[in-house]
Amino acid sequence: MVEVLFIGLSLSSILLLIALGLAITYGAMGVINMAHGDMVMIGAYVTVMSKIWLGLDFYFAIPLAFIVTALIGLLIERIVIRRLYGRLLDTLLATWGISILLQQAVRLELGLSFFGLHIEGLGPGLQKVDVPEFLRGTISFGDTELNGYRMFIILVTIALTFVTWFLLYRTAFGVQVRAIIRNPEMAAASGIDVKRVNSLTFAFGSGLAGVAGVMMSGFKTVFPDMGATLVVDGFMVVVAGGVGSIYGTILSSGLLGEINALVALASNDIIARAVVFAVVILVIILKPKGLFSFKER
Amino acid sequence: MGLERKIQLGAYALFIVALFLVPEFSDEFWLNRASKYLVYGMLGVSIALTWGYAGVLSLGQGLFFGIGAYMLAMSLKLASPTSLAQGSDRPIPDFMLWNAEPDAPVELCCITPGSYLWLPFESVSFGMLMGVLLPAVVAGILGTIVFKKRISGVFISIITLALVLLVRLVVIDLQPLTNGFNGLTDLAFLTIAGFEFDPYSRSTYYLCAASLALVLIAARLLADTRASLILQAIRDDQQRARHLGFNVPMYQTFFFVVSAAIAGYAGMLFVVASEFASPTFMDLSFSVAMVVWAAVGGRSSLLGACIGAIAINWIEAEVSETAALVEAWKAIIGLIFVLVVLFLPRGLGGVAHDLAARLARRQSRKAAAAGTAGAEVKRHA
Amino acid sequence: MPSALRVENVTAQFGAFKAVDSVSLSVSDGELRVLLGANGAGKTTLMDLISGRIPCAEGDVQVYGRTITNWQEHRIASAGVGRKFQIPSVFRNLSVRKNIEVARCHSQSVFKNLRFRLPAADRRRVDDVLELTGLQDSAEQLAAHLSHGETQWLELGMLVAQDPKVVLLDEPTAGMTQGETSKTAEIIKRLRGDHSIVVIEHDMGFVREIAEVITVMHLGKVIAEGPVEQIEKDPEVRAAYLGSTGIL
Repeated sequence: MVEVLFIGLSLSSILLLIALGLAITYGAMGVINMAHGDMVMIGAYVTVMSKIWLGLDFYFAIPLAFIVTALIGLLIERIVIRRLYGRLLDTLLATWGISILLQQAVRLELGLSFFGLHIEGLGPGLQKVDVPEFLRGTISFGDTELNGYRMFIILVTIALTFVTWFLLYRTAFGVQVRAIIRNPEMAAASGIDVKRVNSLTFAFGSGLAGVAGVMMSGFKTVFPDMGATLVVDGFMVVVAGGVGSIYGTILSSGLLGEINALVALASNDIIARAVVFAVVILVIILKPKGLFSFKER
Repeated sequence: MGLERKIQLGAYALFIVALFLVPEFSDEFWLNRASKYLVYGMLGVSIALTWGYAGVLSLGQGLFFGIGAYMLAMSLKLASPTSLAQGSDRPIPDFMLWNAEPDAPVELCCITPGSYLWLPFESVSFGMLMGVLLPAVVAGILGTIVFKKRISGVFISIITLALVLLVRLVVIDLQPLTNGFNGLTDLAFLTIAGFEFDPYSRSTYYLCAASLALVLIAARLLADTRASLILQAIRDDQQRARHLGFNVPMYQTFFFVVSAAIAGYAGMLFVVASEFASPTFMDLSFSVAMVVWAAVGGRSSLLGACIGAIAINWIEAEVSETAALVEAWKAIIGLIFVLVVLFLPRGLGGVAHDLAARLARRQSRKAAAAGTAGAEVKRHA
Repeated sequence: MPSALRVENVTAQFGAFKAVDSVSLSVSDGELRVLLGANGAGKTTLMDLISGRIPCAEGDVQVYGRTITNWQEHRIASAGVGRKFQIPSVFRNLSVRKNIEVARCHSQSVFKNLRFRLPAADRRRVDDVLELTGLQDSAEQLAAHLSHGETQWLELGMLVAQDPKVVLLDEPTAGMTQGETSKTAEIIKRLRGDHSIVVIEHDMGFVREIAEVITVMHLGKVIAEGPVEQIEKDPEVRAAYLGSTGIL
């Protein structure tokens, strides 16, 4: 039983890593970023590429993926998202288009495959990442054996959640972001450079997705379409937890991850996912503000 | 009747006439593909009806399409010769035998748990009826709950999205009943009153063309009613509409149901033309693709969304002839989509609408100028 | 004949706070009643209670003797209560004429509205309303393109077209120029007599021009009620405005 809860916790961690970025961009900026899953995908490819081309170890991929995806996020915000603030459904549609573009960029090796050039590590095929020796084994606590890599994911998630919390609640930047969440017009009127803060917020959210991608690459195969299901899962977590509430996102990723693990144990993975969807639908219908929304009007 | 309105009606008439002229210029193979595009066009209409007129963006339209498809496919599966050749005197789908327990009775009633649900589908009429009715009922229940609760735009999109993915997983998981991932294949031709619709024949194309024309005209008429005007008012400001005395959830649900029924009907036609039904109909990417078609064609233009759907799929098929371009085409679609959302939020239909309006304005100004000139002349005379 | 609008001991409760505290009010047929009070006195909340936008924690609301307490908004509206909001709310993506046509569609059900046009009598009525509000020249424009004042008149016009028995107007002259205000007064005078009207208003010049009876609210309660002259002398009303000469 402890093992199952542990697996649930590691699933929750991945969900949280994906959802955290979405919670910030959706909650703070009112942007539904369907390309978020592709940031995860790019993070995973950064891991693959940094090994092949730079000979870098798995651990170094974490900061590298954060930087790469954050920069791409910044670019997307500057070129597209910026023109769409206040048009929630349109952000969903435009970022869907971006998502296709990003996938095809990887699949077509940045377009070079037309010219017969190939970049090792990209392309339509599957890629695999080797996890460092140190994380491959299991760690024993009494008679329970816990997978080392899952443990690592949980720890990284805790660390990043803490960093996010610190940024949002203990820094001047965080005060600005939270001001924008509450009331963008008022924030702008009080001298906050809303555009700049929004760009940085979006970049940070994308960077988190990149790190999630590094973590994913350690136990799932890496391929261009891998982001599509992830972004849906991420949104389910954010919506169930309550839009605009970081705590809600943390708690709901914990809940949905554990439900997934427990149902999967009792039946199978397919039904487990279906049950998670059913839970989310019920939450939206019964508590449209989210399970754990503490935000007053 | 104003000039703008005349242009609009003219466009509908032209499109419908063109639909029926297509077979004169193409072979049976191509007609089969064209029938599928017409089905997609119907989906464009169903999206525009909820999205453009009700402001409700369903990301789960594939659910209604899928239900419609499966309902008819179940009937056509039972009508197929292989189902009669499974060692029982009444039809039974081949995959049920493959999935059944070794000692299970070879009868549709009890070969696998739940297989009795297939029994009424021995009648093709029942399958056809359910293909429209079930999507409508599901949409009715969902709409009543969601709209009564005043759940707002994005959340409706997410609920419909979660629902289509949920049903897709259930269909996949119920392998013994639905043949899971593989879907329903090896179907009989649809036969109505002794007339057979061979997918590679003109008759199937005409069936799709007539259906699309019918759906377009019906949707156009519906869009011209007072109910549609009130629906658009609700889209703009629900609160105001409630205080004018309108039963807001009832309007939203009604149009949602109509849209679902159209999608279900499209699903049935797709089965007739393609001879299979599969869980991929309920993939996320398919439901989003419909929205893309409608957005490019014009989210609040029924004809625009319809033409958008047909055009995108047609071009895609043409481009896919060259293997190297298949993947590039996807990137192009992605790019077009971003550009349309940024620069043409009302799509090509919106552009056409603006052009017609400008033409009408110029016309009326000219008429007015002629009128005053006439008056001048009279006064001088 | 029962009162057009009768409100008895209604209370709006938000947690421990009572925004409207056991308020009673009776407006007779054809009367025009002005609701007066400082910000936060509970005037708009009282309208919210009457029109069903928020639920009454206690009390009773009746229209011509028919109890409508806590009904859904659209049923209250079809029972004959029309409302104009403080921040003008119209259908921005419909033309001015269509806004009024929507207000003129009487049946609340979708099936009864599956017809193409309004009956001829109603169409004439729509033209009348366009003329009354002076919007006939912008009839084909989108409501989004109207000026602030015109938007207010459009919303009033929609109320006229809806033809409710009881009309609730929340600050119909807010943000208007002198000229616009007097035109608004004209439109409201046209409504009076055929309709029973409750107006929230701050502009005293405007109030003196239209008012018969004034009800003054303060901190969720009614503190005075009577004709203009009497209210202006009322010591409690003056005290409520912190000893200043107040708004009066």
